[in-house]
Formats: sequence, structure tokens, C-alpha cells
Amino acid sequence: MSAGGSGAAAEAIPQNNIIAFGVLGGLIGIYGAYFLVGMVGQYMSFIGALGAICGMVWGAAAVRRVASYGLGTGVPSIGMLALGMGVIAATFGLAVGGIAGPVIALVTAAIIGLMIGVLANKVLSMGIPIMEVSMTEIATAGTITIIGLAIAMTGTFDFPVVLSQVISTGYIAVIFIAGGLAILHPFNACLGPDETQDRTLMVGVEKGAIAMIVSGIVATTNPNASGALTILIGIALWYVAFSGFYDRTKRDAYDVVGAGMLPSKEELE
Amino acid sequence: MIDIAGILMQNILYVILITLGGVLISWSVHFVPVGGAPAAMAQATGIGTGTVQLAAGAGLTGLVTAGAMMEITSSAALVIAAGAVGAMIMMAVTMIVGTWVYVYGVGCPPASAKVKYDPITKDRQDLYVSQGTEGHGLPTVSFVSGVIGGALGGIGGSLVYYALMSVENGLPLADLVGIASVFAVGIFFVNAVIPSYNIGGTIEGFHDPKFKRFPKAVLASLIATFFCALIGVLAIGGL
Repeated sequence: MSAGGSGAAAEAIPQNNIIAFGVLGGLIGIYGAYFLVGMVGQYMSFIGALGAICGMVWGAAAVRRVASYGLGTGVPSIGMLALGMGVIAATFGLAVGGIAGPVIALVTAAIIGLMIGVLANKVLSMGIPIMEVSMTEIATAGTITIIGLAIAMTGTFDFPVVLSQVISTGYIAVIFIAGGLAILHPFNACLGPDETQDRTLMVGVEKGAIAMIVSGIVATTNPNASGALTILIGIALWYVAFSGFYDRTKRDAYDVVGAGMLPSKEELE
Repeated sequence: MIDIAGILMQNILYVILITLGGVLISWSVHFVPVGGAPAAMAQATGIGTGTVQLAAGAGLTGLVTAGAMMEITSSAALVIAAGAVGAMIMMAVTMIVGTWVYVYGVGCPPASAKVKYDPITKDRQDLYVSQGTEGHGLPTVSFVSGVIGGALGGIGGSLVYYALMSVENGLPLADLVGIASVFAVGIFFVNAVIPSYNIGGTIEGFHDPKFKRFPKAVLASLIATFFCALIGVLAIGGL
């Protein structure tokens, strides 16, 4: 039962598998894009966006788990919190870490997330048993999303490049909203008594594909990254994910019928 | 590797200012009449959207006005005042237009369900509350409270931005503005969400009984912002 009420959400895929998928997929995507852009060519920058999608799916799964207990306020707040913590951790990690930047960013995010989770339960007395774990997951997932999309836009996570091409130009705001949407929107859109994990996560993939397309468009303005492949793969992924979501909606619905067009004036008389 | 202790000792004042700014933001959210989804259907007093959206709106407007002021002066007082006024204007405009929609569009009088008399105008409230609702629209006290909230949030946001911009670093101005804004926005979001969990989504203003819960959110924000401030100052100071 996961009606945004109280109680743990039923899950077909165990959360630990999703955590592994998010962390490993995210890091492989980030480092894969970083090295392959240097070795193979700038068009490999799309791998960063795939890594970001792993992070978004993980974030959406964590939001689903924690928001099932009922936050007392809208689900979007937790997505904004994820990106707020993520942007602080990602900027810090990339600024001080050099080649180890993404890893430092993830560790920093985990510390901030854990701290906010502990504060939420101990000081604000929210009383959600998985709050600490979930906040850690959400902050880390937000960080992977930000770094992954930044790489898809610039082809590197070298901080001077990211700073001048993503942060100073304001594209960070695009990452903030597109990435945040992929984390907060799936559960917000699907919540209800008949919510199922795979359908919710499929919305996460679909939103991630939109973020990928947007980052591809930004990448076309950048000499070190190539946008064409990112946009094409993004569109293909969006189509697959949206059909997957539609199939699952039909599966979960009692019945799907066409309502027809609205009656015309003559027919009403 | 960067000289962590050195940078922190040099910029300890800014760490404290950022923490203070975060605490002010957290406190300010308690003043803002947030109605959430029920208010959007005119079934609860307040503005019909979530805490985070409102706080972000006011905070970002404050950040823009503070940033614009910082282009022409380096006086902290002027920058902070500009931030406060920007956020107050944004909040007041949102509330007055919301009130027009409630009064002329939805057709309900502004009324609070939490108090019998408006503490400012002394007008009777409970007679005007529709059955089955938690009040509707924005009574005077909520409006005044919201403007106070905007001012505090704007002061907090511009304080964070001003402190981050003042950290000694070797960045060109355009990049410094970018990274300081990003950190300020991140800190703003964290401090907007913490109080929204504290008040459980909706609050009418400083006359609401839930307002008394603010010390808990302020304490939580103090700890969280202090850590974020350390990270922000280290990142900017190390460049």
C-alpha cells in the first residue's frame, strides 16, 4: 500500500539492487563519458546522460519509498531538497577533487543527506523509519544526476570547464529543474492505492530521457561535446520508456475505454 | 590539495554569516501563509502552492535584486536591503493577485479558521469561514505575516549570497557570480524544505498555533546550514 499515506511501499525490485544500479551505473556513466570523450571522441558524451538517468531512477525509487510514509507536504519538496543538496555536494566535489571529484561529491552528498535525515527524525520528529537512509540515497542520486548531465553538456567534469560552460551560463538551472523533475515527478504522478514500482520507475526513465534530450541540445553549443547522438538516443529512450509506461498503465488499469469526442451541439439537442 | 584549515580560519566570519542567513530563511518560511493544494481549491487559508515553491520564488527574486545591487556597490547593508525589498515585493504581489482571484474569481471572502478575530484588524473571522473548509483567501494578518516572511527570507538569501561573494578567491567575476548563486540557491532550497516538514505543509502566518514550532526548524537549519557553509566556503576559497 503506497497511497502517500502511511506504511512501507511494496516493491518488486529490492531497493538494494536499485542502489547498486544507481551508484555503479552513475559512476560508470560519469567516468566512462570522461575517459571515452578523451580517447574515442566527443560524441561519447552521451554516456554521461545515461549515468545521470541511472541516478534519476534511483532517486525516483528512493522518493517513492520515503514519500509512501506521508511527508505532510507535497512530494515535490523532497525532489527540490535532493537537487539542493546535490548541487552543493557536486560543486564542492568537482571544485576540490580533480579526477576523484565525482566520488568526493557522492561522499559529501551522502554526509549532507544523512545529516538532514537525522535532523528530520530527531529534531523535527517526523517519525519516518527510513528517513536517514532515504535522505542519503536522495542526496547522492541528485548529485549523480547533476554531474552526469553536466558531463553530457560539456564532455568533461574538469571544474573550470563545468564552471564556465554550465554554471556561469545558467544551464545549471536547466539541470536543476529537468533533473529535479525526473526525481520528484514519477511518484508525484503515480501515487495512489494502485501505484506499482515498475510503472513509477518507467516515468523516471521517461523524464530522464527528456533531460537527456535537453542536455543534448545544450551540448550542441559546446565544442567539447557532441549533441546529435545524445539527442537521438534520448528520443529513442523516451519513446521506449513512454510506451513502457503506457503499457503498464493499461496493465494496472481495470479497463481502458475510448470516451469518444465531445458531443456536438446538434447531438445534444 | 587545498589548505582546509587556512581557508576556514580566514573566512570564519563568512561561514557564520551564511549560517545566520540559512537560519533566517528557515524562520521566514514560518511567516509565509502557505496553503498548499487545499488553498488552491480555496479550502484552506493561504497561497495555493507549496512552501518550497513560494520560498524559492521569494528567495530567487531576493537573490536577483541583491545581485543587481552588488553590481554597483559593495555595501553589505544596501545589498541586504535590496534583497529584502525584492523578496517582499514578490511575496506581496503574489498575495494580492491571489486575493483578487479568491475574491473576484472563486467568490469567497478572505477568512482565517485558526483565530476568531484577526489580530490586526480585529475583524470577526469564524462567521465567514465556509463549512467544511479550513478558511480561504488571505486575511490581513496573513498578508502582513507573508510580507514579514518575504523580508526575512530576502535578508537571509542576500546574506548568504553576499558572504559567498566576499570569500577570497582567484575566480573571474562572472564565474564567481555563477558559483555563488548556485550555492545560495542550494542552501535556500535546503532551508526552505526543512521548515516545510516542520509545519507539515500548511501554515497561516505568525498567528497560527503551528508557528510556535519554529525553534525546532531553526535548530535543524542551523546545523545543516553550518555544514553547507563550510563546504561552500571551502569550494570557493580553494579556487
